[in-house]
Amino acid sequence: MSAESPVHVLEGYKVLDFTQFVAGPTVTLMMAEMGAEVIKVEVAPAGDPSRVWPVLKDGRSGYFVQHNRGKQSLCLDAKTPEGLAILKELASRVDVIVENFAPGVIARLGLGYDVVSKLNPRVVMCSVSAFGQTGPLAHEPGFDWSGAAYAGTLHMIGLPDGQPIVPTIAIGDVSTGVHALGAVACALLYRERTGKGQYLDCALLDSYFHYHEAPVQLQSLSGGAIRPKRMGSHATYTAPAGIFKGRERYFVIFAQIDHLWAKLCAAMGRPELTGDPRFADNSARVAHLDELVGLIEGWIASLPGDDAVMAALRAHRVPFAPVLTLEEAMSHPHLRQRGTVRRVRDRTLGEFDVPGFPLRFSEFPRTLELQAPTLGEHNEQVLTRHLGYSAGQVRALEGQGVLHRGNC
Amino acid sequence: MNPGIGRHVLEGYRVLDFTQVVAGPTATLMLAEMGAEIIKVELAPDGDPGRVGPVRVGERSGYFVQHNRGKKDVCVDPKSAEGRAILKELAAHVDVLIQNYAPGAIDRLGLGYEAVRAINPKIVMCSISAFGQTGPLAAEPGFDFLGAAYAGVTSMGGEPGGAPYFPMIAIGDVSTGVHAMGAICAALLYRERTGRGQHLDISLLDTYFHYHEASVQAHTLSRGEIRPTRSGLHSWYAVPAGVFRGRERYIIIIAPLQQHWEKLCVAMGQPDLARDPRFATNDDRLRNLDALIETIESWIRSMPSDDEAIAALREQRVPMAPVLSVEEAVRHPHLRERGTVRTIRDRILGEFDVPGFALRFSDFPEPLTLDAPTLGEHNEAVLTVLLGYPADRVRDLEARGVLRRGNA
Repeated sequence: MSAESPVHVLEGYKVLDFTQFVAGPTVTLMMAEMGAEVIKVEVAPAGDPSRVWPVLKDGRSGYFVQHNRGKQSLCLDAKTPEGLAILKELASRVDVIVENFAPGVIARLGLGYDVVSKLNPRVVMCSVSAFGQTGPLAHEPGFDWSGAAYAGTLHMIGLPDGQPIVPTIAIGDVSTGVHALGAVACALLYRERTGKGQYLDCALLDSYFHYHEAPVQLQSLSGGAIRPKRMGSHATYTAPAGIFKGRERYFVIFAQIDHLWAKLCAAMGRPELTGDPRFADNSARVAHLDELVGLIEGWIASLPGDDAVMAALRAHRVPFAPVLTLEEAMSHPHLRQRGTVRRVRDRTLGEFDVPGFPLRFSEFPRTLELQAPTLGEHNEQVLTRHLGYSAGQVRALEGQGVLHRGNC
Repeated sequence: MNPGIGRHVLEGYRVLDFTQVVAGPTATLMLAEMGAEIIKVELAPDGDPGRVGPVRVGERSGYFVQHNRGKKDVCVDPKSAEGRAILKELAAHVDVLIQNYAPGAIDRLGLGYEAVRAINPKIVMCSISAFGQTGPLAAEPGFDFLGAAYAGVTSMGGEPGGAPYFPMIAIGDVSTGVHAMGAICAALLYRERTGRGQHLDISLLDTYFHYHEASVQAHTLSRGEIRPTRSGLHSWYAVPAGVFRGRERYIIIIAPLQQHWEKLCVAMGQPDLARDPRFATNDDRLRNLDALIETIESWIRSMPSDDEAIAALREQRVPMAPVLSVEEAVRHPHLRERGTVRTIRDRILGEFDVPGFALRFSDFPEPLTLDAPTLGEHNEAVLTVLLGYPADRVRDLEARGVLRRGNA
């Protein structure tokens, strides 16, 4: 780290990144956002399979760019002895290794934790997988929603008698990446005090199961009397909390705590409802949920428009939100002002929007400018700078096909 | 694996915890799982509103226990000058201060970042909120799903054209806690190298927006032509990937990658289908999605049972998962073996299940045994050990209502 003015909190840390698609790249993107040096190893010849995912322009993928900004790309054939030797040399010089191959693949490449920890006892190695490195499901192939299915999480989204619904966003991949980032940072803290590296095993299934803030204990402590499942648009153990239909849009409204319910009654111009025995406390409201939802949606329908609904709820500080479409969210002044949605400039794709960095550090109020690499763009830089290879050696390795380079 | 040094990776770090309900307590529970000392501050008279969450046995809440294991508990009257003075004294003795009150509330307690930094310049302070500490929405009251609504995430779950669904799990709260935990550890790493503390601003809205792994870039790079919205049971950009109807249950199948699509065709006993012009590429399959779904579901229905369909998919290593209920998930041998679901013992509630610690460190393979505190349980322990108060002074403060203790 430069003594004077570090670029961000993780400046000086080096990461060897064997990840692809979303879950693993989320870890290393967050580390890049925090100033770490990330060397992304891509398997020759094609590299990260997400390099061809939509939207594609001139061969460059917006999907790939979003998840790989700020990383250096080293593209090599790990099955050649020279390629493996380079990876081992790099493994001995980095602080962190992250990989999200199927369990067992990194060991077959010759870079399992037992090998790299001998080369580099201080290294923190993190494996990210669908079901974890151990257990009966460990070797099943899996992607994001596979973890949600086994975690009982998908069971919790959709209509009670209908099909479970998959949210069409990668909740599990992104969140597993964040779990892994936290584990890596904690393991580095421990290493700085003890000198010891270690191995971390992060799984989509574990992250999805972590979301059960109430259902697991509800089912278990009630002796099975409560069987949590999807309930459509409204919570069923607390009310009112759910999604209500307006004229042109939906609203999320929370008034499940007695003082919030009183505020909602005031907003609806019906303060006397707080004394109505059907709605007197949470269990009464849960028992009369259909009537309660009918009452609130009837009030919404009685107003001249959705704006009047929002004004009334806001005036009484009832927690609510309009359900925004993605386009509305992306142009909302709050998301723009905070950089929740961020405009990036890619040298091929030009300017476009991606989710901003969700962690905000007061010491570093400005986010870093990060570029996504073309395939093998940093072959020469990584090998000359970190391993002392000559430029001629690198060109020879590229000529032999041990190293690869692409245009996008 | 090697034995670790100390109890766990964060042993020795001390955290002053002003959090309640789920998002904040998730961050401090994870820090406790890693051996940090957590001093939970509850505001008299009732403390954390999560203490009344279901399931309750007598006055003890399974919901509260799940989120507060391993924390010491001090219950203070924030309206008394003596109570506020104690909180300031405690802030001088910790590494981390974390809070998830509505923005501004911590300042009114006299513990805004400027005040805390004046007492303890090396402190890492983390504020968690629904919409962030700044921006037009900052002062609005908020809960989990309100962040989702403003992030455009709620609009991504449900049948096309139908109402969006309300997931019956706290995806945003838990994941925001994980983001906060990662940020805190990265800030501590930075502090260990520079001696500088800082303030972290973490929000539900930012966390939810982070989940947009593809939609944000797709919308802008296509110049608005792609308008991602909820697409029911199947991905809107990569297929087949979604929920398929079996005879008795739903099955997730994720086979948009060419090699997995080909394996799926083999599993279905129709290897030639992979070259059918309707289904040859992802674009072809997207154009013929209804026919694709019908082909796969009619194959599942043609099998004698769902188990045999699952076995055929497994044999070909097609990424798939049965959609498990919460009851099925907690009994699954994989979740049990890995400790994804963990049976804990509470001194009042007895044994029940909660999600296990989602991070796995090779130096510390055994999870810590952590108990949830009763209200104000550690008033005396914290004030005598940390602040040097004599025991009778603590008793006097309890008698005068500056400190409070409860039975559960």
